Amino acid sequence: MRAAWIVYRKELVEILRDRRTLIAIGFSALATPIVLSIVTQVSTRTATQVYTLGYTGTVPTGLDLLLTSTGLKLERVDDPAAAAKRQVDLAVAFLPGEIDEYYDPTRQSAQIADVRLQVILGNYNAAKAAAALQAKGVDPAILTPLKVVPHPLSSPAAAAQNTFLSFFLPYILITMILTGGFSAALDSSAGERERKTLESLLLTPAPRSRVLLGKIAAVTTISLVAAIAAIASMFIALSQVSLPSEAGNSSHLAINPVAVPVMVMVALLIAVSFSSVTLALGTLARTFRQGQAYVTPLYFITIFPASIILFIPDFNPGLAYYLIPILNAVLVLREAIVHNAVDWAALGVTTFSLVATGLLSWLAALRLFTREALLTRS
Amino acid sequence: MTEPAVTVERLQKTLGKKEVLHGISFIAGKGEIFGLLGPNGAGKTTTLRLICTLLAPDVGSINVLGFDTRTAPSEVRRRVGVVTAEIGVYPRLTARENIAYFARLSEVIDGDVRPRVEAVLDRLDMREFAGQRAESLSSGQKQKVAIARAIVHDPAVLMFDEPTSNLDVLASKEIRDFMVESKNRGKSVIFSTHVLHDAERLCDRVTIIHEGRVVATGSTAEVRGAHRDLEQSFLSLVQVS
Repeated sequence: MRAAWIVYRKELVEILRDRRTLIAIGFSALATPIVLSIVTQVSTRTATQVYTLGYTGTVPTGLDLLLTSTGLKLERVDDPAAAAKRQVDLAVAFLPGEIDEYYDPTRQSAQIADVRLQVILGNYNAAKAAAALQAKGVDPAILTPLKVVPHPLSSPAAAAQNTFLSFFLPYILITMILTGGFSAALDSSAGERERKTLESLLLTPAPRSRVLLGKIAAVTTISLVAAIAAIASMFIALSQVSLPSEAGNSSHLAINPVAVPVMVMVALLIAVSFSSVTLALGTLARTFRQGQAYVTPLYFITIFPASIILFIPDFNPGLAYYLIPILNAVLVLREAIVHNAVDWAALGVTTFSLVATGLLSWLAALRLFTREALLTRS
Repeated sequence: MTEPAVTVERLQKTLGKKEVLHGISFIAGKGEIFGLLGPNGAGKTTTLRLICTLLAPDVGSINVLGFDTRTAPSEVRRRVGVVTAEIGVYPRLTARENIAYFARLSEVIDGDVRPRVEAVLDRLDMREFAGQRAESLSSGQKQKVAIARAIVHDPAVLMFDEPTSNLDVLASKEIRDFMVESKNRGKSVIFSTHVLHDAERLCDRVTIIHEGRVVATGSTAEVRGAHRDLEQSFLSLVQVS
């Protein structure tokens, strides 16, 4: 193993002196806080934004106050249908006993204004009906024959936190492991051929399997460093975001204790597996650029399963699905984050799948690394 | 001829669909400079790669200092130092780090690495640029790094593949001087070249390869024969073959 350690140390020194890798790690660390900051600002602005409600006719008594206090600014218009296209976010025509509403569903501002208007009108109608019943001596409770009393098993803030983390954390972890080690893996494989150092390296008595092991270990280390940098910066950024809690105080996003070891294990497995795959693909290439062409499709292939939770949040597959690399990592992490629990069977299948992927990739890389064509193919 | 250092027998090798070597044989002795000569594409580099175990022969055998390249490749590599035709160095490592890396991979024990590297730096007059990153070195300086890493484990057999082809006059002279010095230290030096003038000045014995076949082998004087120089001899041999 001495040869593997020698190669590992040399690769790390070279990687850390490579501007491309340092930029990739720096990007990993900075990208998440920047994205989160933009998302938070956009969300806050959307929540406090005042939308314009165009109208014709006479506004019912008291409704104008309700509308203004809910961030809907009234503006008289001549033609509500025409005004709703550009001039205002939403337009209504107040008629006797009826409100005609005009809005363009393709405009996000119209959708948000519409939701606000529906809530206000619902409350206004209910209050009016209750007042009318009370005036006639009827208990307004008759309007709600089945009263619903909600008993949420976790706080809405915690649910929102888990939903957010269950998507973002696996996504960031996987993409940053891949992008963080991308440049290092290609430099260590295709770069070795491009710089014409491969022949000299293979001339040493060091067994090729050990040389490859040292390279994979170095790329894995860099991948993990990039992922840790990205996740740490994400939590630092999240610590600046306040969430409302039950007691009326504010709290911050935090990961539950079960998810941490699961995340570490999954990250390690993915990093080893990806390092082997990218090194195998890089070994096929003669130049760094050619290696990029081979490895880039891998990035898109892996991003798809990593994104699946965004499109299908309640995706609850059988154990066989846990054989699919990356998807299995995302599902196991989601289980740990959302339910604060580990599905041991799923974790077992996931471990088997990722170890098998890493092993097969390592064998492929070794086969490529030991064939004569590595030196003679022009 | 001195005692054999490298013995090549009936070597055949096909790369892809091309049969590169058609059963070549020769012996390079201990403590001599042996020239493997021939035009580009003759099979010189393939032969050297077979000797240093980067490639395996299809037919035939190679023995280096008593070790068969097929059955004991690691033993062969421990005893051979190769300066390849294409000088590749790790650009983000310094000259010293490049040499130390190869010393460690060549199984120089940890305590010996530093003195060995420093000794090689002195021997090749590399002190001035030893701490510079290889990416900033000139071609001649990179060539010295390539030589240093090939000799840092003190191999008994040194092989140079077209060592002067990309160098200026001064750097070429340094390489030639180094080969003579190595011979004087008792090393076996095998070098391939298509520059027959270099071979004539340096080699004790030569083998001329043409299209994968040996067309002449023997002492430099024997191969030159009645011709004015090796180049004339080579041209007449190629025309005959």
